[in-house]
Amino acid sequence: MRENKRIIHVLIVISILFLSLLTYLLYFNMFRAEEVALNSYNRRQWDEERYVKRGSIYDCEGIVLAETVIGDDNSQTRRYPKGRLYSHIIGYYSKVYGKSMLEMKYDSMLLGKGDISLSFGELKEGYDLNLTINHKLQEYAYNQMNSRSGAAVAMNPQTGEILAMVSLPDFDPTPEAIERDWNNIVEKENSPLLSRAVQGAYPPGSTYKIVTAAAAFEEGRNNEEFNDTGKFEQGSLTVDNFNSKAYGKINLKKGFAVSSNFVFCTLGYEMGAEKMKNITERFYIGKDFDFDLPMNTGTIGYKSMNSSDSALVAIGQGKLLTSPLQMAMITSCVANGGNMMKPYLVDSVTTDNGYVVKKNRPQSLALPISENCADYVKELMVETVKTGTGRNAQISGVTVAGKTGTAENETEKSHAWFVGFAPSENPKIAVAVILEYDGGEGGVHAAPIAKNIMSKYLSLK
Amino acid sequence: MQRLKKGNYKLPAYLLVIMNILGFGLLCMANNFDPNIMYIGLGIMAFLLLVYCIVVVCRMGDKFLILIASMLITIGLLMLCRLNLKMGVRQIIWIGLGVIVFFTSYCIYYNIWFWDKMWFVYLGLGTVLFIMTLTLGQKVSGSTNWLSIAGIYFQPSEITKILYVMFLSCYYSKSWEYPVLKIKPKYITAMGTYLFILFLVMQRDWGTILVLFLIYIFMIYIYENGFGFLAANFMLAAVTALLGYKFLYHIRVRVSVWLDPWSDIANKGYQITQSLFAIASGGYFGRGLGNGSPSYIPEVHTDFIFAAICEEMGVFGGAAVIILFFLLSYRCFKIALGAKNPFNKAVGVGLTLMFAFQTFIIIGGVIKFIPLTGITVPFVSYGGTSIIASFISLGIMQAISAKEVRGEKRAGK
Repeated sequence: MRENKRIIHVLIVISILFLSLLTYLLYFNMFRAEEVALNSYNRRQWDEERYVKRGSIYDCEGIVLAETVIGDDNSQTRRYPKGRLYSHIIGYYSKVYGKSMLEMKYDSMLLGKGDISLSFGELKEGYDLNLTINHKLQEYAYNQMNSRSGAAVAMNPQTGEILAMVSLPDFDPTPEAIERDWNNIVEKENSPLLSRAVQGAYPPGSTYKIVTAAAAFEEGRNNEEFNDTGKFEQGSLTVDNFNSKAYGKINLKKGFAVSSNFVFCTLGYEMGAEKMKNITERFYIGKDFDFDLPMNTGTIGYKSMNSSDSALVAIGQGKLLTSPLQMAMITSCVANGGNMMKPYLVDSVTTDNGYVVKKNRPQSLALPISENCADYVKELMVETVKTGTGRNAQISGVTVAGKTGTAENETEKSHAWFVGFAPSENPKIAVAVILEYDGGEGGVHAAPIAKNIMSKYLSLK
Repeated sequence: MQRLKKGNYKLPAYLLVIMNILGFGLLCMANNFDPNIMYIGLGIMAFLLLVYCIVVVCRMGDKFLILIASMLITIGLLMLCRLNLKMGVRQIIWIGLGVIVFFTSYCIYYNIWFWDKMWFVYLGLGTVLFIMTLTLGQKVSGSTNWLSIAGIYFQPSEITKILYVMFLSCYYSKSWEYPVLKIKPKYITAMGTYLFILFLVMQRDWGTILVLFLIYIFMIYIYENGFGFLAANFMLAAVTALLGYKFLYHIRVRVSVWLDPWSDIANKGYQITQSLFAIASGGYFGRGLGNGSPSYIPEVHTDFIFAAICEEMGVFGGAAVIILFFLLSYRCFKIALGAKNPFNKAVGVGLTLMFAFQTFIIIGGVIKFIPLTGITVPFVSYGGTSIIASFISLGIMQAISAKEVRGEKRAGK
């Protein structure tokens, strides 16, 4: 019968329709659901949190940095006892504007998700975070920055633990303040929400000569003599030394200590684009890795790079951009004999009765340079603090290694940089400090801050 | 008789028992061990099993139709009791009435033999219902499709769908071949279809329009010899749809919201995004009965009940509902294929298409597979008219099946 044949066709069509419904439902759940569920308009995200007391956050010595307080009416309030000090590490937590930084990254941990214990009505306890941050050092570094725009990052070069990390300007992270001032905070010209230490992208200036010196060592040019005329000229490119000073016949060590642009532009130009690109990548610039905070990976900035570009990159200018965290990592790598440790902020995650849910251990991120090379660069950095531009970073009784930078940018006012570590024989702390649009020299403005942070940390031990 | 002895018809009934006990038991726990919920669960379970026994013992044809419908009713009622216990109790009353209507429509359909002679009755009744809705109707959430009689609200369009299927079947079963006013019945059915659709456009009931039109198109495909008439109807529909898209703001909004609901979550995209949030938050196994927040979904007890099921019972729960509807359609197709009386066959196919498209349109809309047009989910959604109309259709299907099983001679002809 013709009708029955046609009815079977229709049955097939209907089967396909139902099958496509099933497929789409599964597809949605597999590939789209996670993103949709996390949409800030989805009120369910806050529902679950009513039944959980969000975990606390502690520094490395157990000082409370964030906690949830339960009010008389069972309402929960997120409190930050240290105020603005951790606004760029812990972030904020607002029912209206969501979460940021560690509050976001470790949200499921703080909510104790994955805890399979059954609960009927009573409040569940979320997990606590124990940071690698040393609160005393963080507070000290914050005061040292003295409200100037910029960032300071201190890390343990042997483990990658972040000891202190300050970004300024900052904001008041309490939920009430965030909800009251949101528009103001977002629209403010100096972008207080930008975590400069990890999300900033700055030309590293002369601090990048550390990387160029390592490249020169690898090319066997560490014993060469240069005739420094104070002005590097190649085609249309002209780079002056700082204050146009000519140093005459100098070697690489001296050139590094006085931060001669002539020497390093020459090296960058002659070693060529490939070499500079290669070593930059080895130092993990432009490469992503799993860090506890959203970060800027930095960039060498060129699609095709010629020797003139390479000369500029060699002195940390041109299109090269890095974050203060990356400069701290590069410095740590030199301090740690060429082994770049993966930086981390969260030491462990524990339940409220002390059971360790997750423990982060030191991990090597990369081996950008050999130990010999690292030792050589270390020697140059020690010399810089002893006799060169970094003299303001000297600590009595401790050998400090460092490098200054005064990075030109799109404005008239240069960034003041200092990176360094101490003690040079057995580095305990590596620091990167930047004062943005400071206008002064790195060796004058940034070096004393770095020195104070290092000496404070060494005295804490 | 073979099957009855083997007893394999019992197994699906056990599933129904398990679903009721586990579902309502869980709901009872989630509501601080409110015993009333357990009574509701056991009561509805006993009631549905009784209905099933009657169908089996009285040899009312296919035994699975009522079982599948019972499962869907259980899932829907479970969800409604979880959303709002009072609403759940009201739904039980509707289910009770629906079952009475089920047996009544079964008996009436089974014993009357001149259904295929009354095309003008269906057309006339449908038109009257539409005109009453348009003149006396109440506006509820943008659609004028509610009629209030003695304080009870009902949606005539649910009933007209059945009338429409009967009307089409008169012609396609070839029992109506005489022209009226020199117009061939083929064109009268077309005019009737577009008249109904025009009424529905005035009510802004886009979902029902889609259901009616799809039934019509597929009926043409099954019964018309050539493809010319089919193509002509298709062209007409395409042109109308394009014009509608161009000139009707409602339709444009629905399409743009379907393509990108995320750009306007707070306003136009509100309904569909809330539904997607619910489904996405449920995951594969759901957040558990009573643990979700389905109250955030607008119209959750009627059009969007599928989203609530997905949130609390998971995507697998949702898939189970889809599969149940698929099984229901499959059984109905089987009955239609087996029917020897051409009118019964046509009505069978029409009602099957009605069930299938109605579920496809609303579930597809809720999960953003197709643009959203609000219609109810048969047997699952809250609402008297929807439940009663579904039971009438089910009763008719059951009668068609019974006529087949028992043989036409003993049926009312």
